[in-house]
Amino acid sequence: MFSITQRAQDVSSMITTSIGVLAVLISISSLIQLYLNDYNNLSGELSVRKAQNSVKFTRSFGGNARNGKENVRLSFDMETDLTPLFNWNTKQVFVYLVGEYDGLNVLKKAKVAKDESSKVVFWDKIIRDKADAVLDLKNTRSKYTVWDYYQKMGNRTANLKLEYNIQPHVGPLVWGSVDFNYPFEFPEPKNA
Amino acid sequence: MNVRQIRSQLSQGLTMAMVLSSAYIFWKLLSIVTNSGSPLVVVLSGSMEPAFQRGDILFLWNRDQYVDTGDIVVYNIQDRSIPIVHRVVREHIVYEVERPTKEERKKGTKKGKTVKKQLLLTKGDNNEVNDLSLYAYGQKYLDRDRDIVGSVKGYLPKIGYVTILVTENQYFKYAMLGWLVLSVLLTNE
Repeated sequence: MFSITQRAQDVSSMITTSIGVLAVLISISSLIQLYLNDYNNLSGELSVRKAQNSVKFTRSFGGNARNGKENVRLSFDMETDLTPLFNWNTKQVFVYLVGEYDGLNVLKKAKVAKDESSKVVFWDKIIRDKADAVLDLKNTRSKYTVWDYYQKMGNRTANLKLEYNIQPHVGPLVWGSVDFNYPFEFPEPKNA
Repeated sequence: MNVRQIRSQLSQGLTMAMVLSSAYIFWKLLSIVTNSGSPLVVVLSGSMEPAFQRGDILFLWNRDQYVDTGDIVVYNIQDRSIPIVHRVVREHIVYEVERPTKEERKKGTKKGKTVKKQLLLTKGDNNEVNDLSLYAYGQKYLDRDRDIVGSVKGYLPKIGYVTILVTENQYFKYAMLGWLVLSVLLTNE
């Protein structure tokens, strides 16, 4: 009962249990804090300054030597305040600008239904500090040239919005979005 | 050795077997609940820093029909055993015509059935480019049903580092073995 192994066993089981309980309490309390901060009702402004669409024939842009793929890039202004997402349990907030668009009746032979959809990321950023959480971007270029599963992107309309992922120090990951209500039409390619 | 000693040894063995099998049962139950082949994963690379460091334990969930862009997923590349933890940067829900199976080809059908799939492109937060170069030859997207082990819903920091040390660090493995042997020899039951 009083051997050293028994004591070591007792101590380690006590440590494990308390760490477990502490982790659960931390997760619950930081989630409550996020709800109190009204994290789901963020708003902001977005405007696209310029967009380009060019056809590429290499694999790293989605195409191959014979079939080109339309690639879209854009530059935009964005203003939003993400400070309600930060509390003492926030390790980082990953924000990303997405475009959501519907399917396109491209394949002539197969019956392609309208319930095809896509969601692509144009730009992303890691915010580690509350001080950097107010975003005021001017003429920022998209980080990634984006291509679709199908060949055509021009003249398709996408809904652009900013989504975020809160990564805590301990606990569950939280996702959310800032809706700009900004429908954006991709331009036609220059070199068709 | 008399009967009493044999009996005590056997009951010790039985207790050990009970502990091991209940751990196994718990693991398999967790697999069923989350619908994932591997519901707990240890982060092995630094490609998702600063979010996930090597040694973090991730909790996976695999019951969503479709994964969302921005989710962090664990996936396997065909024929490779190491799972990769990256973020989904692109998803396309499309109808694809499958290649006909052997039986269908014998019957003479040229096209397979049309299946609705979700195709994904992933990228590590700490990497410059997306994962296209990691995929198998000729593979341009991941298939949500076939390649994804699960999406990350929560995590515990740094606790899994023990498993990394055991597999990668030679000295640690022998040290653990030596400690186990010593503890068996030195306990007096």
